[in-house]
Amino acid sequence: MSPLAALRAIVIAVALSPLAALAHGATPQKVVETIEIAAPPAKVWAVVGDFQDMGWLPGVVKTEGQGGVTPEIAKRRLFLAGGGVIDERLVQYDDAAMSLRYIIEHVDFAVLPVGNLSATLKVSPAPSGGTVVEWKSRFYRAFPGGNPPEQYTDEVAIKAVSELFRSGLAALKARVERE
Amino acid sequence: MFLASLLVGAARADEAFIPNQSSDDLTIVDLGAMTPGAALPIGGKPAGIAVSRDGARAYVTSPEGHFVSVVDARARRVLKRIAFDGQPFGVAVSPDGRRLYVADMNGRELLEIDPDSEKTRRVEIGAMPSGVAATPDGRLVIAAARDDNALVVIDAENFARVATIAVGRHPYGVTIDASGRRAYTANVESDDVSVIDLAERKLIANARVGSHPYGVALAKGRAFVANQYAETVSVFDAATLAPLATIKVGEYPESVGVSRDGGTIYVTNWFSNDLWSIDAESYRITGKAATGDGPRAFGAFVRAVD
Repeated sequence: MSPLAALRAIVIAVALSPLAALAHGATPQKVVETIEIAAPPAKVWAVVGDFQDMGWLPGVVKTEGQGGVTPEIAKRRLFLAGGGVIDERLVQYDDAAMSLRYIIEHVDFAVLPVGNLSATLKVSPAPSGGTVVEWKSRFYRAFPGGNPPEQYTDEVAIKAVSELFRSGLAALKARVERE
Repeated sequence: MFLASLLVGAARADEAFIPNQSSDDLTIVDLGAMTPGAALPIGGKPAGIAVSRDGARAYVTSPEGHFVSVVDARARRVLKRIAFDGQPFGVAVSPDGRRLYVADMNGRELLEIDPDSEKTRRVEIGAMPSGVAATPDGRLVIAAARDDNALVVIDAENFARVATIAVGRHPYGVTIDASGRRAYTANVESDDVSVIDLAERKLIANARVGSHPYGVALAKGRAFVANQYAETVSVFDAATLAPLATIKVGEYPESVGVSRDGGTIYVTNWFSNDLWSIDAESYRITGKAATGDGPRAFGAFVRAVD
């Protein structure tokens, strides 16, 4: 193996280790996505607020979890069509404000190349009637150190989270407006 | 007499020096009027801040740029960058202003740097060195080894480790009281603040706060703690550790500071890009100032203005 190839193998091994995912070496990133839905907020929140069923997110074939909607107790595992899983924990839940916050406790970087992701889903009345859903997140790139390999940069992480949220919100809109 | 007190009052308006990690600059906020001035370009994704006691210098760490910026705080000018072999993060300045203490977040060490000669000394801290603070007498430096769940006590004179104190899970920001008797650290993963007796070098207790605490400020015998996920500031009695209040603040609050007179608390909100002021007695929100994108201000960001 060439020295460069060996170094690359080490770099990837470090990036894939669970400990690396917990480090804060990089700069935290923001993603905010919103969508308008032609339905009452309560109807949208009935879907979004059910932490134990993430079936509205494209690619999720099954949700398994426990703890209902109790912050710090409620957990869920999302089973993905591609075979991967995402483990998440609820950290905030405000039924009156129609807002929840969760964190990803574990995800393979092949599924989503991010570290320490927390995200908030908030359902609000739209000024023009109907509903606005906002999905916002704070996260780090998968590789915490300097000079990340090209598959674990800030840009790759931002793109992955943005696309996930956009596809999720579009599917949510389609589902609620159809019902 | 009246005029004199007015002038003294005017002279004592503090400033906040806020590194914005995403916009790569430094916002200087006039804390009397809660108005931001022009942003000073920094680069390298600035995160950590320490202002010298005399208000002459501000030191800003750039973890991704691998340097520490030395800022002339009065002239609002970057004097130089000190190269740093690693990812500089938490930073403190000695009370006499002659030494910097900088945590290497992806290494295992704390560095002492002479900002003039740039000579360094190093001491092993442990996994993920984070927050740093110096005691008011300059004799001790306290650093959090986040992933070791410990605070490390360093003797400043010979720059050697003298104690390691187990705290809660993932200690982050470190604050020392004005008397130098106690250190406080916010434990991000265990949602509490560890209170340390520095003379005894032992944990007094862990005070429960909100979800994901980052920073601690002390005023009026109380501790004010920014909780990132809860989006609140928890207040507890610094002597009895009894909870006193929970104050709703902006989005993803991280760092907390206090005015020189102890009357006002300042909190940076990383997601909503602003700095809020809170009356330390009534807990009312008294002002808001816009910052750049992604204000971190990890450290002691309030500058005394003479």
